[in-house]
Amino acid sequence: MLEPFQLPFVQRALVELLLLAVLAGTLGCWIVLRGLAFAAHGAAAAAFPGLVLADGLGFAATLGGFGAALLFALAVGRLGARRDRDHGGGDGTLTALVLVAALATGIVLASDVFHSPASVESLLFGSLLAIGAGDVRLAAAAALVALAATWLLGTRWLATGFDPQAARALGVRSRVPDTLLLVLVALAAVAVLAAVGALLATALLVVPAATARLLSDRVGAWQLATVALAAAEGALGVWLAVELNAPPGATVAVVAGAVFALVALLPRAREAAA
Amino acid sequence: MSALVAASDLAVSYGGGEPALAGVGFDLRPGERIAVLGPNGGGKTTLFRALLGELRPAAGTLRVAGRCASVPQTERSRLDFPVSALDVALMGTIPGRAWWRRPSRADRAAARAALARVDLADRAARTYGELSGGQRQRVLIARALVQDAEVLLLDEPFTGLDATSAARLEALLAELAGEGRGVLIATHDLEQARRWDRVLCVNGRQIAFGVPAATLTHDVLAATYGGAIVTLPPAHAGAPGPQEAILPPHHHHH
Repeated sequence: MLEPFQLPFVQRALVELLLLAVLAGTLGCWIVLRGLAFAAHGAAAAAFPGLVLADGLGFAATLGGFGAALLFALAVGRLGARRDRDHGGGDGTLTALVLVAALATGIVLASDVFHSPASVESLLFGSLLAIGAGDVRLAAAAALVALAATWLLGTRWLATGFDPQAARALGVRSRVPDTLLLVLVALAAVAVLAAVGALLATALLVVPAATARLLSDRVGAWQLATVALAAAEGALGVWLAVELNAPPGATVAVVAGAVFALVALLPRAREAAA
Repeated sequence: MSALVAASDLAVSYGGGEPALAGVGFDLRPGERIAVLGPNGGGKTTLFRALLGELRPAAGTLRVAGRCASVPQTERSRLDFPVSALDVALMGTIPGRAWWRRPSRADRAAARAALARVDLADRAARTYGELSGGQRQRVLIARALVQDAEVLLLDEPFTGLDATSAARLEALLAELAGEGRGVLIATHDLEQARRWDRVLCVNGRQIAFGVPAATLTHDVLAATYGGAIVTLPPAHAGAPGPQEAILPPHHHHH
């Protein structure tokens, strides 16, 4: 039953997913808590044309993807912050617009750059069973940065999310922590591309954290639970994908979605959501 | 004794437009509780934001000698947030630290001491959103105390509290004033305002400022609240004469 896990490429997929679980457990919780889920989805989508451009122009794909995702995250974050100040909460219209534009641009560019649809598909949905050493290094670096940032900036991210107006009055005037959060969202969006692609990034960055949120009432416990959950969902998804010969990124996403649905039906979670 | 806050001919506007509040002149002395009365949108929040340094005076002068801390309405904060009472009190230590620093052991001790000060030491580990309204209000006061604020700005702190919680909060405010802090309380409750030291009535501009007995006349209240005043007959035979009250305000958040 466990023989898939003896295959080297499956083992590498597992290592990648374990590292990304650490990223999902730390940063993912802040993304959910600060209402950045849609922005994270948008940043990953924005990375797609960046990757295509990088490939066409011949520079590092990761750099291209990160540049585009960063541009997106900072622009949406800045505009979102202004809207929050003026109206107390924003809608996702702007994010949706840029997301569509990014995807469409990426597809148009890709038709010029790539000649096989398979490359486009792996950018959009990941190629979890073809993970390279560079992908693992990027995931490890992103996980480390997310851990360090949580350790240092967690209390500030919490205070700003708890009540933004009072946080300003408290003297949380520095924009640095919140800007760093957006930079990290862009970094995370790029780090998960190899595993689940531009369109399924939130399966790792948002869904496990949103699931564990239903069962936890402290940030620390929530983050630990999210790491464990994301790792378990990843392992189960990879195993299912190999056994059923299904696309791995999408399988991980389906597993994560199913677990969320199950947990949301638990009595305690229903109470928490009410 | 020098004033903690002194405003003279103060006007405050948002983004350089028409002043949202003008002609404000008052002072807050240590140990004093001042009620800030006015309709919603009458400039109470604008005044608080100016005191906190978020809005700069468009005209006149505003001198704030002590550290100001705001105690917002508890519904403004996220009740579904995964934080304990201690986590919230600990947020008060943020102003004292550079942004890359974590709360120290001393910060934690200060937050615990502040919770004990508002009589919530035994609730430190409770989830904030699960506390009662009065307890949440006291946690937010603890957050202000952690900042060692000499001036406390409370935004309708008694809204939604039952009589016991309200009495407890009122006693706490008296104690904090007794320690030499200045307390400004935005409220709609005239009875309460009459028990405090002075009242500041605003409605786009300052209507009146002074001790309650001399200040809260029918004319002042009419100018402050427009038509939303009713005169209540004495509650029972032998009760003091007719009383004025404000109709329940229409709540709308900005």
